[in-house]
Amino acid sequence: MAITRLVHVFMPAAIVMAFVYAPAAEVLGETSRLLYFHVPLAWVSVMAFAVSGIASVAFLAGSKGRFPAAETTFHNSATLGTFSALLATATGSVWAKLMWGSYWNWDPRETSIVILLLIYFAYFSLRSALAGKASRGRLSAAYLVIAMTVMPFFVFVIPRVFRSLHPDPVINPGMKILLEPEMKLALIVSAAAFSLLYFHLLRITNRVSKIQAAMEDLSDE
Amino acid sequence: MIEAILANIAKDFRIEFRRRFAVNVALSFAAITTLAVSLTAGGARLETRTHALLFWIIIFFSAMNGLSHVFTREEEEGTALFLRTTSPELAVFTAKLVFNMAVMAVIAAAVVPLYVFFLNVEIASPGRFALVACAGSAAIASSTTALGAIVARAGGRGSLFTIISFPVVLPPLWVSIKATQASIAGGGAAQSIVFLLAFSGALVAVSYMLFGHIWIEE
Repeated sequence: MAITRLVHVFMPAAIVMAFVYAPAAEVLGETSRLLYFHVPLAWVSVMAFAVSGIASVAFLAGSKGRFPAAETTFHNSATLGTFSALLATATGSVWAKLMWGSYWNWDPRETSIVILLLIYFAYFSLRSALAGKASRGRLSAAYLVIAMTVMPFFVFVIPRVFRSLHPDPVINPGMKILLEPEMKLALIVSAAAFSLLYFHLLRITNRVSKIQAAMEDLSDE
Repeated sequence: MIEAILANIAKDFRIEFRRRFAVNVALSFAAITTLAVSLTAGGARLETRTHALLFWIIIFFSAMNGLSHVFTREEEEGTALFLRTTSPELAVFTAKLVFNMAVMAVIAAAVVPLYVFFLNVEIASPGRFALVACAGSAAIASSTTALGAIVARAGGRGSLFTIISFPVVLPPLWVSIKATQASIAGGGAAQSIVFLLAFSGALVAVSYMLFGHIWIEE
């Protein structure tokens, strides 16, 4: 319940701060307001993948019903992660067109999000191929764990294959956000709002999955 | 355990030697794609980067045609259940991994001369080129063996193996392409080879931990 209330407070605040409170960036102009939606969406897509991976490990490690919600959690988290990755790609592409002149440039972060989407699509293809099988949960969880193992290798490889176009002041090797204080605050509030929205939606989708499973059990009886 | 591993390896190789399905399909695919590239290139001189890209695309898709077969065969012929009851899961996985490594070695051993012959590639560092081909092939085999087991459990449907393997195989594929390009031009490839071996090690370790969940029926 607390998450729902926090979403009701943070989400409107994030939208107002993005359009009213935060100033437009000097070079980027009004287009810089996309930052307050694009970065949190990309963050949520990665967080959703991490949650999916951790829930998959919990599901596989805790057999005999130790973590009963783990299967629905990793699946619903992957669904939410796919949507946020798609939205992050769309908002990023619009910004890329405005700033760099083309929708797609194979920048390391664009490449990372494509790989994340490829993993998600592969996961859903596998999941649909396993429809009706008792091993569906275990096999799809195993795939997510393998995909999660590969992720750190991408961090090593991608910067060596593709040159970055992303602005250094926002994302840099020092891991410091070098923005004006108002912009930094708006970005933090927006990231918190989108994170809370993700957990809120995850809770709702988990409850829907639980109800669906109960209804299927009833119809079987 | 070692006896069970050796027995499984002998069984897999004996069956494959009798039918030669996985190797034949993979080699035929490799030969056809190499010839297709050579014919469509029409004798044009390609850049080292293009050569490296084409070489690894041929290896990747040839591998996709042969690597999942070792598990799908067990499911299709109904021997998987028998194998589950008679062999420990680690012995089964080790045997399948060794078999897939051998299939990749055969694919690489066939594609390298075919590619060099038909596309007139002049390799400045043949030794490094061979090492990269071996390390890259080992990385592909070690990262896709457990995925082959997953696909077999899913009914071995069509191109599912390629779809789920591609994101997992991308890091070694990128590194192999870069290292192959460097070896064709005469540059160093030691760091890339270390990366490929580390990747193989990590994926094999995770696959061993997960294989019980993939293989055993509840």
